[in-house]
Amino acid sequence: MSISLEHLYKSYGREPVLEDFSDVVPDGSLTALLGPSGSGKSTLLKMIAGLESVDQGRVILHGRDVTALPARHRNIGFCFQDYAPFYQLSVFENVAYGLKTRKMPAAHITKEVTELLELVHLGAFASRYPRQLSGGQRQRMALARALAIKPDVLLLDEPFAALDAQVGAELRAWVRSLQHELGITTLLVTHNQAEAMEVADRVVIMNHGRIEQVGVPSEVYDHPANDFVRSFLGPTTTFAGASVRPHNLEVTRSGEGVSAVVRDVIRLGFEVRVVAAPADGEALWLQLTHDEAQQLNLQVGENVTIRRRN
Amino acid sequence: MGRSPRWLRTLVILYVGLLVGVPLVFVFQRAFAHGAGALWTALQDPSMGNAIGLTIRVVLVALPVNTIVGVGAALWIVRHPSWLTRIIDRVIDVPLAISPIIIGLMLELAYAQNGWLGRPLAALGLQIIFSYPGIVLACIFVSLPLVTRQLIPLLREIGSNQEQTAASLGAGPVRIFLTITMRSILWATAYGVSLTLARILGEYGAVLIVSGNITDLTQTLTLNIGANFENYNAYQGFVGAGVLALTSVIILLLLGVARHRERKRHEHLA
Repeated sequence: MSISLEHLYKSYGREPVLEDFSDVVPDGSLTALLGPSGSGKSTLLKMIAGLESVDQGRVILHGRDVTALPARHRNIGFCFQDYAPFYQLSVFENVAYGLKTRKMPAAHITKEVTELLELVHLGAFASRYPRQLSGGQRQRMALARALAIKPDVLLLDEPFAALDAQVGAELRAWVRSLQHELGITTLLVTHNQAEAMEVADRVVIMNHGRIEQVGVPSEVYDHPANDFVRSFLGPTTTFAGASVRPHNLEVTRSGEGVSAVVRDVIRLGFEVRVVAAPADGEALWLQLTHDEAQQLNLQVGENVTIRRRN
Repeated sequence: MGRSPRWLRTLVILYVGLLVGVPLVFVFQRAFAHGAGALWTALQDPSMGNAIGLTIRVVLVALPVNTIVGVGAALWIVRHPSWLTRIIDRVIDVPLAISPIIIGLMLELAYAQNGWLGRPLAALGLQIIFSYPGIVLACIFVSLPLVTRQLIPLLREIGSNQEQTAASLGAGPVRIFLTITMRSILWATAYGVSLTLARILGEYGAVLIVSGNITDLTQTLTLNIGANFENYNAYQGFVGAGVLALTSVIILLLLGVARHRERKRHEHLA
């Protein structure tokens, strides 16, 4: 189900949070709202869910204007960053909550909840309580709870931010494959560009309550619309007066380019960072692969030539 | 958590013991001083019986009112903050800051038969001051913030994410309150209600002014105890004090058990 957001405005007091925000989230896509904290992305997500009022503009779900519709009638699955587990209820009761609210027959609820718990690999945890679960398990429980109502749209607020790096990485891959499997239109909010690039098939980059750029991850990464997007999506360095990606530079011992002195070589595994100072400019850095660095065998203090890769 | 230093524990035990424990023991000792027969007779004193009856009838109205208003006010202040709730958040503590006797005087001035609010009510045939409604009003007033004060920090700590999630799952406000909010605040509410009950049972100053302290009619148990001491009937006074103190101790014990159970449950789940 597609989501149309038309000229949305929101402010807290005199502080504008969203200014003239418009976007169409295509049916079945996994879109990431990416931006620094305070860019208005979480507020936007709550406005779509009906958990935050809209000052101006319209929220349209599959052609239907829901701007004034209370959250409970929108049939939208919403997951908070802290997963908001119902601590007083068991895992089973958590997932069953939306179905009980819809007054489904008990046998149907049991069947649905059992299937969902299997789907999120929590089948053995049905009678546990949220405090007995790890962060990753709580997140999967929250997902199952949101999916139980067969939502038209799934909204995830910073779904991986509270997890440690390894669990977060596993869950990202899992959420992505689950979303592909279910085909449910999903919008997730994140401040982590790597996360957005990895999970989403569409990225909306926000800053100060406005859209900076929208597109496929590789497209916005390779063709950033402005310096904000470029520096937000990945590392940059200044070469010949322009902002460039450090892996778009190469270093040689001969040929054309800017001559510089190697100041430092930092080996990070696959990536090797080289810090170099051109004779007439400020220091810059560039990224080489492990093999490239091995072949060049750069020494600190030696003179090299730096140029853009073709 | 490590143990606190021995001197600190000794100081606290001495402080609490000398201030609360020892005097409490003396009240019970005095009540039992003349043997079981005398105690049984004193317990059957009709005026004390009437006073206990009135106190119970006051509790039956004031306690539910302050529980419902207290929970509602806390939810309103925390979940829907505005300039109005900020004012109420300040004003709600007034009953704790003002001496009960002044509260009694305030109520009397407003609700007496020639008072600003009392006159129209009297025209409707409602007498507030020197009667049961005035006592209820005074008890509601003095114990107003106790439930709310327990709940405000807890509701802030819990946050509204669970409630908002429940809303997104299709639950309406009543269902959200019953299935989510109430389950989280149950024990804190019970604690606030117990404090409210203890406060109502023990209220003296405000009730003294608004009730007129008429024996057998508008005399609550505390007033009855006071009257017995004034009338050189100290033994009867000690028996009344013993009844009141015992009730309070029972309330505190039940509360202690409830809090302990809740903590145990949390530790178990953590």
